[in-house]
Amino acid sequence: MASGVIAGCMGALLGLGGGVFLVPFLNAWFGLDFKTAAAISLVTVIATSSAVSAGTTGRNLINLRLGMLLEVASAAGGVAAGVTISHVSDITLERGFAGMTAFIAVLMLTRLERRNVIVDTTVDPGTLGGRFHDDESGGEVVYRVRRLPLALFVSFIAGNVSAAFGLGGGILKVPVLTAWCGVPMRVAAATSSLMIGVTAVASVPIQYANGYVNPPLAGAAVLGVLVGSRGGLWFGARARSKWLKLLMAVVLMLVSLIYLRRTL
Amino acid sequence: MTGDRPQLARLEIHLGRLLVTGVTISAILLAIGLGTWLFDPHRASALLFLNAGLIVLMGTPILRVIVSFAEYVAMRQWFFAAVTVVVLIELSVTVLVALSKR
Repeated sequence: MASGVIAGCMGALLGLGGGVFLVPFLNAWFGLDFKTAAAISLVTVIATSSAVSAGTTGRNLINLRLGMLLEVASAAGGVAAGVTISHVSDITLERGFAGMTAFIAVLMLTRLERRNVIVDTTVDPGTLGGRFHDDESGGEVVYRVRRLPLALFVSFIAGNVSAAFGLGGGILKVPVLTAWCGVPMRVAAATSSLMIGVTAVASVPIQYANGYVNPPLAGAAVLGVLVGSRGGLWFGARARSKWLKLLMAVVLMLVSLIYLRRTL
Repeated sequence: MTGDRPQLARLEIHLGRLLVTGVTISAILLAIGLGTWLFDPHRASALLFLNAGLIVLMGTPILRVIVSFAEYVAMRQWFFAAVTVVVLIELSVTVLVALSKR
């Protein structure tokens, strides 16, 4: 339950499901096998998603259109995971994941100053872009979405990774959306939070039916995550997006090290 | 495409309410279930409450997609209504596979 609190807090801050912390924790400390840990984590991802999204609505931060479009790819990734992942060994998957997270961490660090917001509000945001009130700029700002195919591709991979590792997939989507696709950090985090619930639901019912979800443990983890996400929302509203990105990069590095260590 | 912003903002608020309701119901069910389970792990009602909580939790995002579809149709935004249908089809594949395993 305590790990759920930490996972929920990070999840709310960064638009992640928090599974990156919960899975290694349940796996290493509780001694649960990987599939059970991943399934419980996915259930908490749904809780984080619903709780955090409910807490961010009304501020125009969630990009509903972009989110729904990317959900097509991430849900397909989740459904396809069963097929694709059985052909790849666990160790290859974990090494690939470690390498990918390290790469994204470096990418985020090199783009800390890029905020993707256009202060000129007369600019047309396009169908997928949007506008929101940005405290850091002191007024309404506009952003435009670029490189949609890349965002779709990453969402598919995120859906795949989500089902395989018990994560929400935000850990891949948020950095790519902010670094390459023109989406501001807060919008990327809020949109990702909303999406991960659907990503998780694309694979968790099968794991539930297979008996990988232990109801009392899942219940405790979900309640912990719900408490933690309140804290994360509170911090998130007060933190600068540069620090959020720095935190994200640190988290990615840690995750990369955790998975790299597991494969050695 | 800026004229539909108020409608999108309203959709966001509707979805927010839906998510709060789903999370609250499932948290209450899970808390009752967990409390009963800690008291007596063999009581049938404990697992009943826990499983009901988990099912409500899993159902909430699916319901969100269904509500989004209805609202996009009401807004006559056919492209996004179609996108929502694709997501729903993907989710129903998972749910059907899960039900077939029960």
